[in-house]
Amino acid sequence: MTDNTDVLVDAQGVKVHFPIRRGVIFDKTIGHVYAVDGVDLQIRRGETYGLVGESGCGKSTLGRAILNLEPPTEGSVTFDGVDIAALKGEALRKKRQDIQMVFQDPLSSLDPRQSVESLLFEGMKAHGLAKNAKEARPRLVELLNAVGLPEAALLKYPHEFSGGQRQRIGIARALSVNPKLIVADEPVSALDVSVQAQVVNLLEDLQEEFGLTYLVVAHDLAVVRHISDRIGVMYLGAIAEEAAADDLYATPLHPYTRALMSAVPVPDPVVEDRREQILLTGDLPSPSRPPAGCRFHTRCPWRQETKCDTERPVLRIPEIPGVGEGHRVACHWTEQIQSGEIQPHEVAPTITDASDLGAVDESLMGPASISEAL
Amino acid sequence: MTTTTPRDTNPMDATPTDTSNVADRDKARRWQQGGSEPLLKVRDLRVTFQRQGQEPFEAVQGVSFDVHPGQTVGLVGESGCGKSVTSLAIMGLLPARGNKVTGTVDYEGTNLLDLSDQQMRDKRGKDIAMVFQDPLSSLNPVIPIGLQVTEVLERHRGMSRKAATPVARDLLDRVGIPDPDRRLKDYPHQLSGGMRQRALIAIALACQPRLLIADEPTTALDVTIQAQILALLKELVEDTGTALVMITHDLGVVAGLCDEVNVLYGGRIVERGERHDLFAQPRHPYTHGLLASIPRLDAPRGQRLNPIPGSVSDNLPWTSACAFAPRCSQPIEVCTQKMPELVEQHQRALRCFNPVEANR
Ligand SMILES: Nc1ncnc2c1ncn2[C@@H]1O[C@H](COP(=O)(O)OP(=O)(O)OP(=O)(O)O)[C@@H](O)[C@H]1O
Ligand SMILES: Nc1ncnc2c1ncn2[C@@H]1O[C@H](COP(=O)(O)OP(=O)(O)O)[C@@H](O)[C@H]1O
Ligand code: SF4
Ligand code: SF4
Ligand SMILES: [Mg+2]
Ligand SMILES: [Mg+2]
Repeated sequence: MTDNTDVLVDAQGVKVHFPIRRGVIFDKTIGHVYAVDGVDLQIRRGETYGLVGESGCGKSTLGRAILNLEPPTEGSVTFDGVDIAALKGEALRKKRQDIQMVFQDPLSSLDPRQSVESLLFEGMKAHGLAKNAKEARPRLVELLNAVGLPEAALLKYPHEFSGGQRQRIGIARALSVNPKLIVADEPVSALDVSVQAQVVNLLEDLQEEFGLTYLVVAHDLAVVRHISDRIGVMYLGAIAEEAAADDLYATPLHPYTRALMSAVPVPDPVVEDRREQILLTGDLPSPSRPPAGCRFHTRCPWRQETKCDTERPVLRIPEIPGVGEGHRVACHWTEQIQSGEIQPHEVAPTITDASDLGAVDESLMGPASISEAL
Repeated sequence: MTTTTPRDTNPMDATPTDTSNVADRDKARRWQQGGSEPLLKVRDLRVTFQRQGQEPFEAVQGVSFDVHPGQTVGLVGESGCGKSVTSLAIMGLLPARGNKVTGTVDYEGTNLLDLSDQQMRDKRGKDIAMVFQDPLSSLNPVIPIGLQVTEVLERHRGMSRKAATPVARDLLDRVGIPDPDRRLKDYPHQLSGGMRQRALIAIALACQPRLLIADEPTTALDVTIQAQILALLKELVEDTGTALVMITHDLGVVAGLCDEVNVLYGGRIVERGERHDLFAQPRHPYTHGLLASIPRLDAPRGQRLNPIPGSVSDNLPWTSACAFAPRCSQPIEVCTQKMPELVEQHQRALRCFNPVEANR
């Protein structure tokens, strides 16, 4: 599939492992957080690929690995036919221009001391698209127009805007360098419900207008389903299921996807009263100690005596008649679950010691703790 | 909602704490027929924050609602609309300085706002309990969770430590914490977010409250964990007859859980109704707009969302207008001239001069 010119991003076997360090000056590695642990993923030109999954499953880390902001421990990411990791200097800078990022919290990702004009101009200058703000002015006004803000916004500062408007500024900034791909990490989750829809619609309009490709990372399945053409469902660092948005909703195959879908509340009492819910038991395991075999086996209601605990299932096209094209699932027993041959059973809840996660947090403290230790 | 297999250890298994509020359960049936007296009557609740050197800011501007025994009442609205301040005012938990609270919070004939700090502390232990969004900050980090439960039992139910321990164990079991004997000794930081929220619910239940106020109890949790906690709350309410005030920004959560729903905007209730009726026929343009703007998992794809324009920063002051007017899809002249009052009609309360047409 790599030679397909339709594919803009091709990630192969991507792993991102963070070392957990302990000891006086953190010289001892006592384990790893397997944040991303073997992901193959292709994003086609002009499509929106949505990544969903619960907190800590590695969505953001995978997004960052695709941007090469987090160099993969293993595997490769090809962007527009070029291996990003191999790029240096000018070539890397040029590629970076093609991939822009939109963040969850617009306030913390925008420098509060910079006016909107300088925020938008900054990237253009860095990529040699304009020499001074005056020359860039028509383009800046055009950008603001595109995201639905008045020209007067140029002279204001981020704190003078509402959350939704700040997200518009963040999007305008990403657009300012004419990117091909926008990686949006939780672009609407910090926004009020009534404002989320404005930003979702804006992203859709801009995609059409500028022929953009999106990778949208979010935990809200309803938002992801609405905005995406294809969706990857992540669980503990790996993709459990991948399908066209409609197929995923119509025929969720992986037990985790089924549980996830059935857990999303729908703002309709009639649906809520009728709904069959698959309640998962227990906690999400720590990504520093992922279960062997199928990572979902500690919570899976369909887990079997054989294979599940010992063999890691690969993402594959299941042998189920009528299943949509490109629908892939990482479960040993998909066919049997779908046919009803295997029935769900009770699961004894397992609990995850949060201190496992605590170890991760400590390692995140990094430099501050090192200086303390010294 | 029907729950298929699998599920947690059944929190409804008979435990020594099961005897609570049987009378309330019967009363609960009565309010459904419109008979019972409210357990809690909030009337014209106002909270004004007085910040140094700044204009006073009225975060809650005259909120009134009832909660009947066994009833689940929802307060929904976007961030900053006054949900948390309302609940903190009811619980007497607002900071002692810098704010003014007026109106009445009538709990079975007593105005909670008149109680001394000590009296309020007793009420909070015995009759009313609260669960917050962030369980870590509401649990004591240096005390094992088992001890935090037994302390409540000792203080409010007069049990000895020895008698309280098995009850605490049963409470942890009942809220679905696996291996409760072992978990009694765990500190909050050793538990995941979902387990911490369960522990907090166990502490809240320890005093067999007749009213539980839950402020965004699942907002910080993942959706599969949220489903577990919501199922737990629902079962507890059905089993014990505890009244529940559910505060959330998520209309989906409300749709599945609440008997009656209050929609807040800018510190005031703008619409109230029975959940089926309200969702089937939202009459306030804000409620209507909210429902139209949310992407639904079960909606046909390819449909464009219908956002509410602007943001809360465009609000007008309620004193002289409808605060929502600048964002409303169907304002009329009077909307910017005076404030619409909350009018009750046919099981619905509505604050609007030009409501959305009822289509039946
Ligand atoms: N720089 C880092 N060092 C160590 N561990 C990290 C680092 N960044 C992320 N992690 C860990 O990797 C795992 C995956 O993190 P990631 O941020 O990708 O999750 P996510 O799916 O985006 O979650 P969320 O929905 O909470 O944003 C988590 O356990 C996280 O704690
Ligand atoms: N201690 C406080 N001092 C001043 N203003 C406050 C305080 N607590 C809340 N507010 C303000 O009151 C309003 C309502 O807040 P809150 O009830 O927390 O909203 P929410 O509906 O999101 O729970 C907000 O504008 C908030 O900024
Ligand atoms: S492989 Fe086994 S444990 Fe994993 S999802 Fe399939 S049935 Fe469940
Ligand atoms: S009172 Fe007027 S402005 Fe306010 S919601 Fe009703 S119609 Fe809209
Ligand atoms: Mg993330
Ligand atoms: Mg709040």
